[in-house]
Amino acid sequence: MLLARSIGATILIGGCAATGRDAKNSASVSPSASSELKDPAAFAGISDTAERSGALFLEASRVLLHPRCINCHPDGDSPYQGNLPQLHDPPVSRGPDDRGVVGMRCNSCHQDQNIELAAVPGVTNWRLAPREMAWVGKTPAAVCEQLKDPKRNGGHTLEQIVEHTTYDELVGWGWKPGAGREPVPGTQAGFGALIAEWIHTGAQCPVQEARR
Amino acid sequence: MSIRFRLNGVDRDIDADPEMPLLWALRDLLGLTGTKYGCGHALCGACTVHVDGDAVRSCVVPLRRVSGRTVTTIEGLSADGNHPLQKAWVDLAVPQCGFCQAGQIMTAAALLARIPHPNDSEIDRSMAGNLCRCGTYQRIRAAIKKAAGTTED
Amino acid sequence: MSPPVMTRRSFLRTFNLAAGGLALGYFPVEVWAQKRKERTGNGEGLRPNLFVHVAPDGRVTLACHRSEMGQGVRSTIPALLADELGADMAKVTILQGDGDKRYGDQNTDGSSSIRSHFEEIRRAAATARNMLIAAAARRWKVSEQSCEARDHQVVHRPSGRKLGFGELANDAGKLPVPKPDEVQIRPNSELRRVFKPLPDVDAPAISTGAAVFGADVRLPGMLIAVIARPPAVGGGVRRYDASRALAVPGVKKVLELPRPTAPYAFQPWGGLAVLADTTWAAMRGRAALDITWDEGPNASYDSDVFRAALSAAVASPGVEHRNVGDVDAALAKAARVVEAEYHVPHLAHVPMEPPVAIARYEDGKCEVWASTQAPQEAGKEAARVLGIDEGAVRVHVTLLGGAFGRKSKADFVSEATWLAKAAGVPVRVQWTREDDLRHDYYNTVNTQRLTAALDGTGRVAAWRQRTAFPPIASVFSGARQPGAGDLQQGILDLPLDVPNVRAEACAADAHVRIGWLRSVYNIFHAFATNSFMDEIAHARDADPREVMLELYGPPRSATLAELGVKQLRNYGAKLEEHPVDVGRLRGVIERVTAMAKWNERAKNGRALGLAAHRSFLSYVAVVASAKGKPDGSIAVDEVWLAADAGTVVNPERARAQMEGAVVFGISHALYGGVTFKRGVSQQSNFHEYRLVRIGDTPARIHVELLPSTLRPGGIGEPGVPPVAPAIANAIFALTGKRLRQIPLRLERVA
Repeated sequence: MLLARSIGATILIGGCAATGRDAKNSASVSPSASSELKDPAAFAGISDTAERSGALFLEASRVLLHPRCINCHPDGDSPYQGNLPQLHDPPVSRGPDDRGVVGMRCNSCHQDQNIELAAVPGVTNWRLAPREMAWVGKTPAAVCEQLKDPKRNGGHTLEQIVEHTTYDELVGWGWKPGAGREPVPGTQAGFGALIAEWIHTGAQCPVQEARR
Repeated sequence: MSIRFRLNGVDRDIDADPEMPLLWALRDLLGLTGTKYGCGHALCGACTVHVDGDAVRSCVVPLRRVSGRTVTTIEGLSADGNHPLQKAWVDLAVPQCGFCQAGQIMTAAALLARIPHPNDSEIDRSMAGNLCRCGTYQRIRAAIKKAAGTTED
Repeated sequence: MSPPVMTRRSFLRTFNLAAGGLALGYFPVEVWAQKRKERTGNGEGLRPNLFVHVAPDGRVTLACHRSEMGQGVRSTIPALLADELGADMAKVTILQGDGDKRYGDQNTDGSSSIRSHFEEIRRAAATARNMLIAAAARRWKVSEQSCEARDHQVVHRPSGRKLGFGELANDAGKLPVPKPDEVQIRPNSELRRVFKPLPDVDAPAISTGAAVFGADVRLPGMLIAVIARPPAVGGGVRRYDASRALAVPGVKKVLELPRPTAPYAFQPWGGLAVLADTTWAAMRGRAALDITWDEGPNASYDSDVFRAALSAAVASPGVEHRNVGDVDAALAKAARVVEAEYHVPHLAHVPMEPPVAIARYEDGKCEVWASTQAPQEAGKEAARVLGIDEGAVRVHVTLLGGAFGRKSKADFVSEATWLAKAAGVPVRVQWTREDDLRHDYYNTVNTQRLTAALDGTGRVAAWRQRTAFPPIASVFSGARQPGAGDLQQGILDLPLDVPNVRAEACAADAHVRIGWLRSVYNIFHAFATNSFMDEIAHARDADPREVMLELYGPPRSATLAELGVKQLRNYGAKLEEHPVDVGRLRGVIERVTAMAKWNERAKNGRALGLAAHRSFLSYVAVVASAKGKPDGSIAVDEVWLAADAGTVVNPERARAQMEGAVVFGISHALYGGVTFKRGVSQQSNFHEYRLVRIGDTPARIHVELLPSTLRPGGIGEPGVPPVAPAIANAIFALTGKRLRQIPLRLERVA
């Protein structure tokens, strides 16, 4: 199978489905509906393991690069909000421990659950991802490399990453973000399964870019 | 449901909805009206109190979160209004309408407790969440510096 | 210069505090009522009017009859009364006056507390002084002229005999009360404390949480009401199901308010009120209501569509309100025509304290506690709602957590009163921030078209200004045409040394409740005028400061003939006492540009913008500096403001008000604007209606009050109008891009 040449970096800002353009390289995998996440079994038709691995990650990246996730994986000092995205308002700062500065700690406002009447999202341990885990503006391929690199993934092994993605509450918030916020596609269990299968197939990084 | 916590140095035990925001428990159940309602969405800071010394927005903190903890409101910041910030606020005539000022002082108090001599950008970052519609920000900055002993004049 | 301090001791004495209640920061209304009684006595002593009471024990109670919303009336009026009386402030208790006709005007708006009532307030104290002196003179059998009142006593100058105010109070109280015009006020030089910085009497209570604002008043048996109001004004409830709301623990009742009919005035907006024993329960209850609305007549209001209508309105001639010479002829033969259209959207007040009022209705009598700017209006409205005599209503005024004109409107008092009667218990109506942004009496929306004819040398030979906006009167009478009283704010009182001037007003319908917001129509008239002067200057490649001074012309009092009008409302003041004084306008322009080193701006690499405006009888000029930020946005990094407000009674607070006005104006300039779709405000809370935060505040705001012995002018509002145009002009200096609408956004280049 010929691999598509990448057509230049794309900044992925919204949740997106793989488009028809990728279809010819993804064999029998058709584009995903935007709120659904494909099951690993949907990729069984890709015979080349490395390619299947990359395709699995590309699908998983629809979660990773969704606004609910990348809003708290910025490279600067401020989280983002919304889907555009825009800078967090009121203005907040990362601080020395990724949990805000004194007087404006993340948990000064964000509680251990979504506060609906106040429209303030929340879950246990609300905080920014460390700077080395910045994903805003990155391609799926770049995030893939970050995720595999112990220097940039918090010193985790791949097995620990499966555990984290499948069970971590802060990760899980993405699927229960509260009223008025678009959740990430699929379910946490489904996402964990994709990551597990990706690792099982050699944790290969995709070459293609995902398209909106 | 009964929630026990230490409020301004006194142990309290109140029977209320554990999801009630601390702000309304303070104002409506405990009669402490110094902490204000300005927006209900943690956007303005008028409701700022301390929980275990950290500044939090009481309009979104559920009562159950303070169970077993220490809560300080503006009324409990000092015995006689003699916290250095309160004195600086009076000395420099900071307030105009005054509605936001309890929240401003509580945030500033948390700041000075952690950073005794904050510079301008530390002040601006920590105070960024406290709105003042009357526009007293210049004087707030000056009063924080005065209380910190780092005043320019 | 640091202001005098209200020391803890003097504060405690002034408020006559007992340790217990205040230490908790809790001010139950019963404590309030008892303390008022203690202060004002039981009919003993001297009380010639509501402003002054001298008790036999020497305690003097002075009333502040105007509402405190941050402009410092409580720190200023009692000090003025005390100085005129000759009282020792340490022996004075301040009483916040209820709504009462005997105080005279209590509408705290129009920056008028001092400028309109300076002498009247002093006469009230002078009356008491006269009576104390008369009582002493009788006792000593000397002439009144040989006595004076100072330091809380009357002194007989020749012999040095003294009697304290308290000792004289009962005797004085038996004397006939002189009429106001029989009483002489002191020369200004005899007033001890005023005209210098005065201590902020409320700062200690504010800094300890003891200060009492509207929602801090608690009555036994009170329920708290949070109201679900129809989205667009004039709408109503078609059907509802309150069963889930009533199931929320703490919710006691759900009541339907009457639907208002246009013109809306102060009627309740209508809707469903959830009454509960805590604010939280009431909010949860409201969220649990299931309501189908009847949209009403204003549900198609779309601010984008309306903007196009305003633009069309100013494209055609309107009703003429000002005319000098022949503008059309001058335009026809102009060497060059400069024309521009400006737009300022609705603005919201968003005081930090959302509207709140408490009402109790028992035995045919009503008592109201509210953060109201207009307690007599509130009392009238309560009486109207209840169908009782105004004399059966008592309105108490708490501190106001900001107002800016919103709390002149008695609608929230109307709601509380109606609900108190319907519920049969005291009710506090608590507005949420969403309620405040969605149901405001917004500052009106405006579009103007300005056209100037330039002659061959670049001088302006003609100036035509067309303005279109739904007027404030629309909410009282359905008016759709701005009147002369509206145009006096910045259009009719604009002195121009131009031979041909015409001003026209164009009609516009109101689809929301229109109110007044800190400096009101001056906001957009100053924005357009000052931007246009700047455009003219740049069209001529000339210094904006020079062009502005040239347009205003030489120092003079502009006559009605020169202004091209038959009369000028002049903010309720006589033109002879408060002329349109071009010398004073030039004075603030010259002072502020000197402060900002205007002439060296190019050399210093500063992008500066200048604006000046006369409003509420004061003159203010502002220079703003704009700077680009790394993220591409614009910051206002420094502002200078020069104000000529005549005689300033409390310079400390005046300065603070000007600083605050700058921040207020920057908020409008950078973020302001309420937009409407389907009759509903698209901005519901601070994430959508942004305000300047501490990080957006210029590092330095320089304020100078020009020394003056002329009559007092307004303080609270005049600082606002020049700020936004100064910023727009600075942005032009920085980027070469002309922004003709608020908010000033770089991607929206006109």
